[in-house]
Amino acid sequence: MARRIVATGRGGAGKSTFVALMSRYLKPPSLLIDLDPDLSLADMLGIDLREQGKRTVVEALYDAVKERQRGGSPLTPVEDRFKGLLWGDCLYEGRGFDVITLGTKDLEGCYCYPDHLLRKTISELSKNYTHVVIDSPAGLEHLNRNIVSEVDELFLILDPSEKSLVHIRKLKLVLKEVGTIYHHFYLVGNYMFDEASEKHFQEAGELFLGRIEYDPKVEEYNLTGKPLRELPEDSPACRSVKKILEKAGLA
Amino acid sequence: MGKIHVVTGRGGTGKSTFTAFMARFLSASSLLLIDLDPDGSLPKMLGANLEEEGKWTISDALYEVMGKGRETKDIPDLLRQKMEEGRILYHGGKFDLIVLGTKLAQGCYCLPDEMIKELIRTLNKNYDTVLVDSPAGLEHLNRKVTPDIDDLFVIMDPSEKSAKHIERMKYVIKGVNIHYHHLYLVGNYRFTEEAEAILLRSGERYLGRIAFDPLVRESNLKGESLLNIPEEAPSSLSVKKILREAGYDHLSEYH
Repeated sequence: MARRIVATGRGGAGKSTFVALMSRYLKPPSLLIDLDPDLSLADMLGIDLREQGKRTVVEALYDAVKERQRGGSPLTPVEDRFKGLLWGDCLYEGRGFDVITLGTKDLEGCYCYPDHLLRKTISELSKNYTHVVIDSPAGLEHLNRNIVSEVDELFLILDPSEKSLVHIRKLKLVLKEVGTIYHHFYLVGNYMFDEASEKHFQEAGELFLGRIEYDPKVEEYNLTGKPLRELPEDSPACRSVKKILEKAGLA
Repeated sequence: MGKIHVVTGRGGTGKSTFTAFMARFLSASSLLLIDLDPDGSLPKMLGANLEEEGKWTISDALYEVMGKGRETKDIPDLLRQKMEEGRILYHGGKFDLIVLGTKLAQGCYCLPDEMIKELIRTLNKNYDTVLVDSPAGLEHLNRKVTPDIDDLFVIMDPSEKSAKHIERMKYVIKGVNIHYHHLYLVGNYRFTEEAEAILLRSGERYLGRIAFDPLVRESNLKGESLLNIPEEAPSSLSVKKILREAGYDHLSEYH
């Protein structure tokens, strides 16, 4: 069974950056899932899904529904058809890790259904991997949907603000009420952290693993859209993420 | 009918900061602010303490009503009742405020959002302006809380993701059929001339950038009201300039 890792946090904290850099150090094969409708993980990994002919989960769901409207076999429920499409059309297979992205929906209504379909397939998918890593959308709503009901490592990426402290409290409250089980809860400071803010959060009562070092190269790569996979191994951001993962027993 | 303005953007760009300063300068004689973010911090940034005033967020009210084992179909009516009892609408000096709040039950924010949508529809006529601070990302747009927007402000950080965010946002807005009169781009406090040169290719109207201001950073770290920052501070002044650029006349000072 794969170790289930979730990276979450407030918007803009650096969840995707953390996951993109993490993907270098995890023992392959890992599965990375981008749960953010405003997706960017694939870009950061240097993968052009469209060019690769890959569909997002939302697109595959549209496909399954359309097939049905055009006739399709009434004996195959849309959900089962979707499962087939997920394996074939959505799974990007890379070297060392595979990627699935949720995608952007342009119909009215929430992401409950695509998330629900994904929840049903995650446990089946995860049998084939050593790690399943989930990059969450900003905020709290995705937690209410309890997509992974049991998490091994939960990384909370923080920015140095009072709002992050409040976020820790709210996050734990939602997890508790929704019934999500987690085995490890880790705090990670983002690139804006300094020693003073680090000290502040060490007193938050949770295990603080360290901070992602400020790295001008990350800023440059993100501005120009250059994939973080190309960041040199000895850059401050990479080294600090590796150190954090070592502390969590993951690298 | 009041004008409806919405502030949106990727996470952590500074939507609430912009909203708070915008509230300071809007000359509307009556202003309704909506914090649509479950992880919201707008009340704190405005120095509004809902608990002290005995006010509920929409999610609190929902929890309260559902906790009593009511039938799902009765919930909207019960929430309306709480609204009429004055449990939800916060009255500030210059603005009123409604907060979505954090939901603790399993499931999405469709119902709370639907309630806010209805509140905006009914309350709109009592205000000159309704100003909505959005949660990060795109999902709230799919719920179409505000089908008709006057001014839509998108706050950008200096990343390629912000440029892509604009494309995706327009894709969702078109798909779910939200109308807006103006779309304005605003650069956040980390924006640079280089970012302006690289990222503003969407052809949408760019109003300028919010000036970096250590006072904002300090305020946010301590969880203090942004309205205590002097009006002539760089951040505050830059928002004033941005609003002028968008054609907002008669900008007033917060009293």
